[in-house]
Parts: sequence; C-alpha cells; structure tokens
Amino acid sequence: MSLVAVEHLTKHFAVRGPLLSRSRAAVRAVDDVSFEIERGATFALVGESGCGKTTLTRLMLGLETPTSGSIRFDGRDLATMNRRDWKGYRRQAQAVFQDPHSSLNPRLRIATILGEPIRAHGLLSGAALERRIAELLDIVGLPAGAARLYPHEFSGGQRQRIAIARALALQPAFMVLDEPVSALDVSIRAQILNLLADIQERFGLTYLVIAHDLALVEHFSDHVAVMYLGNLVETGPTAEVFARPRHPYTQALLAAVPRPDPAHRVAARLIQGEIASALAPPSGCKFHPRCPQVMPVCQTQTPLLRATGAQQRVACHLPQSET
Amino acid sequence: MTDTAIDTATDRTPLLAVEGLKTYLYLRRGVVKAIDGVDLHVHAGESLGIIGESGSGKTMTSLSIMRLLPQPGGRIVAGSIRLNGVDLLQLSERDMAANYRGRQISMISQDPLASLNPVFTIGDQVGAPFRYHGLAKDEADIRRSAIDVLRRLRIPSPERRLDDYPHQFSGGMRQRVVAAMAIACSPRLLIADEPTSALDVTIQAQMLDLLREIQHSAGLGLILITHDLGVAASVCHRIAVMYSGRIVETGDVREIYARPAHPYTQALLQSLPRLGEKKRRLYSIAGQPPSLLDRPRGCAFAARCAHRMPICDESPPPTVQAAPGQSAACWLLKS
Repeated sequence: MSLVAVEHLTKHFAVRGPLLSRSRAAVRAVDDVSFEIERGATFALVGESGCGKTTLTRLMLGLETPTSGSIRFDGRDLATMNRRDWKGYRRQAQAVFQDPHSSLNPRLRIATILGEPIRAHGLLSGAALERRIAELLDIVGLPAGAARLYPHEFSGGQRQRIAIARALALQPAFMVLDEPVSALDVSIRAQILNLLADIQERFGLTYLVIAHDLALVEHFSDHVAVMYLGNLVETGPTAEVFARPRHPYTQALLAAVPRPDPAHRVAARLIQGEIASALAPPSGCKFHPRCPQVMPVCQTQTPLLRATGAQQRVACHLPQSET
Repeated sequence: MTDTAIDTATDRTPLLAVEGLKTYLYLRRGVVKAIDGVDLHVHAGESLGIIGESGSGKTMTSLSIMRLLPQPGGRIVAGSIRLNGVDLLQLSERDMAANYRGRQISMISQDPLASLNPVFTIGDQVGAPFRYHGLAKDEADIRRSAIDVLRRLRIPSPERRLDDYPHQFSGGMRQRVVAAMAIACSPRLLIADEPTSALDVTIQAQMLDLLREIQHSAGLGLILITHDLGVAASVCHRIAVMYSGRIVETGDVREIYARPAHPYTQALLQSLPRLGEKKRRLYSIAGQPPSLLDRPRGCAFAARCAHRMPICDESPPPTVQAAPGQSAACWLLKS
C-alpha cells in the first residue's frame, strides 16, 4: 500500500475584489489533484511559478487545510485526525526547505536546533539527547564539535546538512524536500543529493521532492507529476515520462532546458507567451493559449487525466497512441 | 556556435581587453581579494561566458568593468580594462558616465525587480538612457525610441505598455524591459549577469533566444555571467571558468565542454545530473571553496582536487596552453 494518497485535493484562496466591491475571487491554487507515493519511493513535483506546487507541499505538511479532497497518510485521512494523531503525523512527516540561511534560527546553537524537535516530543534528554545530536551530525557528515557552533559559522552546504539532520531528528517516515539544492553552489549540489540518497536508503524514507531542475528530477525521482496552474497535467514513472512526454507542456518544459552541451539547441520557440494569471485562468485546458497543438475543444473542455501507458497518465485532448 | 565569428575575430584587436586585474574589497574584517589577477578579452560579435560559483569573483569582474564597485571598500588595485584601446581605469568618473557607462558598455543584472524603479513608468525608465546621453531631439522622439527598443525585445504592443508601471509586468517581461534599457544606446559591449536565474525555464528559453538574437544582429560583444553550465553552453562562443578570484580555464566552448583541461572544470561537468542519463550516484567534489580572506598560497582548488601534488600547495599554478585556443592554470599541464 502506498504511504501517501492524495485524492481530488483542491485548495482555493479567497482574494479581495476591487475596492468597495463585495465580490470575492478565488485562486484555485491546487485544483483536483490526485496521486499516490509508494513507501520508500521518491515522487517529484515539477512546474513553473504559480503552478501550485508550494501550496501542495503546505497542504501535505498540514500548514494549510484543503478546500476539498483528502490526503491520506498510512491509510488515515489527515482531516479526521485528533490532536494526538496530529502530533504523531508531525513526527512522521518532516521537511527540508530551499534556503538553509532562513530555515535555521541564527540565535540558536546547532545543538539546540537539533535538540528542539526531540525535546518538543519529549523523547530524550540529558546525556541521551547529546548522544543523539552527535549521532545526527555524524549521519549528515559533520563533526560532533559542530553542535557548539551557530549557523553563521557554516557554509551553505553545511547548513543544508544541518537542516537535513534536524529533519531526521524524529526518525520520520516521510520527507518533503522543497528545492533542496537550488540555493547551493553547483560544486556542492552533488554532495547534498548523494547524502539525501544515502539516508533514504539507510532509513527507508519516502520523499516528495519539489524541483525546477529537470535533470535533477530525472536523476533523483522514481515518479514525477507535472503541474500547470493548479492542475496535474501529466504523471507517471520518471523514466517513462522523460523518455516519452505526452503532454505538450511537458514536452516544452523538457525542450526548454539548457543543456551543458554546446551542440544542443534549445527549442525556445516551441511555446510562446507566459503563464496565465492564476486569478483568471484560461477556460478549458489552462495551457491552451500557449499550446502549439491547440484544437477548438481545448478552449471549452477541461481535459481529464487518462492512462496512456502502464502507469503514465496525461490530461490532454490530443489523441494518444499506445507506443 | 558559428565558426566565422571566432576565426575572423582572432587577428583583430579585441573590443575589450582586461589585463592583470586585481579588485580588492577593504572590509572591517579584512581585505577580500575578490579578483586576484584576471586576464580576459572579448571581440566584437563574440560572446564570452564567465562561469563560477558564489564568491568566485564573476560579479566583481563585471562591476569592475562598469566601474561600479560597492563603496566604500571596493577598489581596483592593479591592471587595465581597455575598451577599443582606451583604458577605462584612467578615465575621469565624468567621462566614464557621459561616454562609456550605459553608452558603450551596459549591463543587465539578475533581479529585474531591483533594476526597475517602482514609482516611474516603463516609458520613463526605458527613455532615460536616450535622455541622459542626449540621443533624442525631444520627448516625442524619446517615446518613439523607447517603443522601438521595446519592440526589439518582443514586448507585445509597446506603445500601450509605455505608461504602465513595473508591477504591471510579469517577471519575464520585466527582464525584457531591463534588457531594452541596456541596449537602448546601442552599446558595443553588453554584460549580462545571471540574466535568467530568476526566470522560469520556458521564460528563460525565450530570454536566452532574445539575447542571442540581439548579440548577433547588433554584432555586440557579450559577457554572460552565470553559474549554470547549460545556459553558458547555449549562448557563448568562449568560456572562462573562475574559481576563487582567478580564471582557472578558458577556451572555445566546444573544447571546454568536450575536453576540460582543469580538474575543477572536469569535476564540475562530471557532477551535473544530465537529462537522459540516469546515474545511481553523482560524482561529487569534496569540501568547499577557500575563504577569500585567507586564500591558500598555492592553487586555490588544491584542497578539493583529485590530482593534488606537493607543488600545488606551494605556489600558484602558471597558465599553460592545453590545446589551441584553450588554456588552464594547473600544475598538471606543466609537467
């Protein structure tokens, strides 16, 4: 059974209309999204600004409540959990954020940063806590002496290691990795990605990773979901989706990636225009104004996700051949 | 990219020639040797990519060329920066501002929001270079020129957007406005410092396409500063790799990507995840760049290098030709 099951998840945000008017518009930040994450697997969410991936992660972490739909963790719906269950879920689900400069409190020593979640859950104290902190530092490749120092005494890569150690402190089953390396220097990224792969294997972790770097997603994930303006437009095993992208948006995203190869030409003209405002999304398929293969039906009907391969699904009106 | 651009360029005097540049930042905690001896050149019609990580000195190089170093503290302590033979470092600030900065050399920076003033209209701001450098007869002429340059950057219906404010533009369109300001006075040299790092990938592709087109059609010299090896590969003819305030390798883009000579360049290219290649583990470079306050005596990369030799820690490596048109600063090549 999958560890995480998201069903018809929808989140609308009310935004104020024009001054003095009572009208209220709704941004459909996440719109009828469903997917499952297998235990021990890495599921990647990709998409550009405004696609809803940040809202989706906030929903997963319980920082927002869904407008409708459900998130099940280990078979239990987050919406029906009581206080005690929530505390248990918060222990199970941890996060590593993009910017290790703002996610660590500059006034606290590393020992306090790592010990805080353990103390909050009343798990360890005294010498046992100190041993656990040293162990966490060792797991992420930092010396035990790091515990006495403050965040500013570390480089960006080391700070991200500390953030990872903090996420591991409660022995979680599930981790949300929100752009875990994009704030880091190129020569540091591989170290952190390898560390994340190592601890996943060692502790049997399940990952949800948000990333805009598609090469990283291909390397790092087992399954991928592509989002556009709140909708999931394509999903499936990463290898299948990257080898045979079916949705014109996925195709455009992959074609737009500049590659470290001077012989490769980026297909810049493949899609025109900009991402529409989430406040006034286009009718029908939200991608249709930019789509190079747009048809009349795309302007009126929202395409539903349908299977095109063993596990690949795509939301597009174009006829899909089984190849 | 095109062979002709490079081959015809080699015999001419370069548009920009930087020699022995040293730029230091005098801070309270010490002297940061941000640029510690940099030589580079760019020909007209050529694009040079400067690749480096944070702290490598790539942005300080561009700010030195523009003579816009952070004050107080930023100072060029040695070297020359010649544009068509004129050493910019010998010019008075007045001459630099009137005849060079924004006129013959201009710059696009990373953050389009920070480059635009929120309380002035796009028309005011794109018109400013024409007004400042006296390139238009009257206000109507300025307006026409602003519309023309916005059209070159493919901003839809520029005549209607001229009276809009920056917040009414999307991120991608704002960056086009910034680029329009930069090319307004038809400069000879354009410096683009991480021009697409804040943009989404499909918008980035459009912007890079525009940059290539502008560079090609106007025959500009272009310096593209980036940390992204993909971006540099898609735009540049030549590459300079910076590490800890120095250029460690420079050469033709195809040579550098196919046969990198410096261990740092090799390691960088090896550590990248690439589309279409699934590896179980990424090659990773151990450690981190040295502090600029306390750079090692020898090669700055030695501590992280897989080929470290005793001499690497003793003295800085000389720059050696590795292949025709490709050179690297490494002791390995000397032996």
